[in-house]
Amino acid sequence: MNNKKFKILLIADIVLIVGLFVLMMILKGGYEEQAKKSVSEQLDAYLNQNNTVLQEQWKSVDQYGMAWKLVNATLTGDKTEKSFDAAAQAIEADKDARFNQVSYMYTAAGIPPQAQNSIHEKAGLAEKLVLKNEGGVKEVACGKNCVVTFTFAKGKLKDVDYKALAAYNMADNFKLEAPAAFRFE
Amino acid sequence: MNVKTISIALAAVVVLLLVTLLMQKGGYVSQATEHYTKTTEKSYKSGSQVVEYVNNSIETNKSVWNLAMEVLQTVKSSQDQARLEAKLFPSTKGTMSIANKTRKFEATSNYYIISNFAKVEEDKKTGVKSLAGLTSVNVSALLGTPGVEADEEEEEEEVEEAPAPAPKKAAKGKKGKKGKKR
Repeated sequence: MNNKKFKILLIADIVLIVGLFVLMMILKGGYEEQAKKSVSEQLDAYLNQNNTVLQEQWKSVDQYGMAWKLVNATLTGDKTEKSFDAAAQAIEADKDARFNQVSYMYTAAGIPPQAQNSIHEKAGLAEKLVLKNEGGVKEVACGKNCVVTFTFAKGKLKDVDYKALAAYNMADNFKLEAPAAFRFE
Repeated sequence: MNVKTISIALAAVVVLLLVTLLMQKGGYVSQATEHYTKTTEKSYKSGSQVVEYVNNSIETNKSVWNLAMEVLQTVKSSQDQARLEAKLFPSTKGTMSIANKTRKFEATSNYYIISNFAKVEEDKKTGVKSLAGLTSVNVSALLGTPGVEADEEEEEEEVEEAPAPAPKKAAKGKKGKKGKKR
């Protein structure tokens, strides 16, 4: 009698073991896939977010450099609207000089050339220098949230307002977010 | 008897399997979390360093540009420039070369400007020489093309009476710090 009960238990054990084993294998595949997917999704999103900040900063430094160059060209030139337009165009078109100027500032910051190149490859250079050109008032981009205004009257320079550029605080505009906690979903 | 032992042993295996099954998910979660945390932390640290170093570099660059533009608009003599330097950079002082008729202001070894003057003036009472008639400001180091300026080997010590609240030591200290950071 006792022996019979143990035989039933034995059979139940075997069935359970096989069942549990199969279940374990099925879940294993599922968890593995889920883990890989969650990690790659969240990791990609975070790394992308960081890279975007680095690329935006690179382009902002380009605008910043061009803006100073243009202020300098304007103050040292003949101060006519015509020369200003020509200088703005020439500065924007000279991509080698722009790259050199940005790269020089990154090198001064201690950023190695490979790192600079990898940022530059993805970011390229800034798309725009002159933002607005209406009736003698010209707004020039000098970085994220930074504008220099040149005012001309009858073709002659009346005023250069580069206060925003002289007070430009890059640290306020560029900062990485700390990574969020991992979610297994 | 034999059947009894085996069935109990197998029952233990069943319990063990059940426990493993329940812990299985936790294992994957912790492995995934570890990989994620390690990779994101590394990216955060290295990326933040780049952002911060560039921000700092721009901060210095900006001040030197600002000085250069002020010099262009307001400075006539080397004394004017010395006053402006003292105002904008209390701890760093420019150097003057009477022979080259230049005054160089160097915030760091990368960021500097050189002002060119037209003539040397001498105070008849004190014999102190200074430069007058600003002709141009060389900003090539700020444009990323240093080295095109005139030779600066014949640098002379500052000999003018312009206000100079900054002790030499402080200027050197600042330079040293910047240098180390690179």
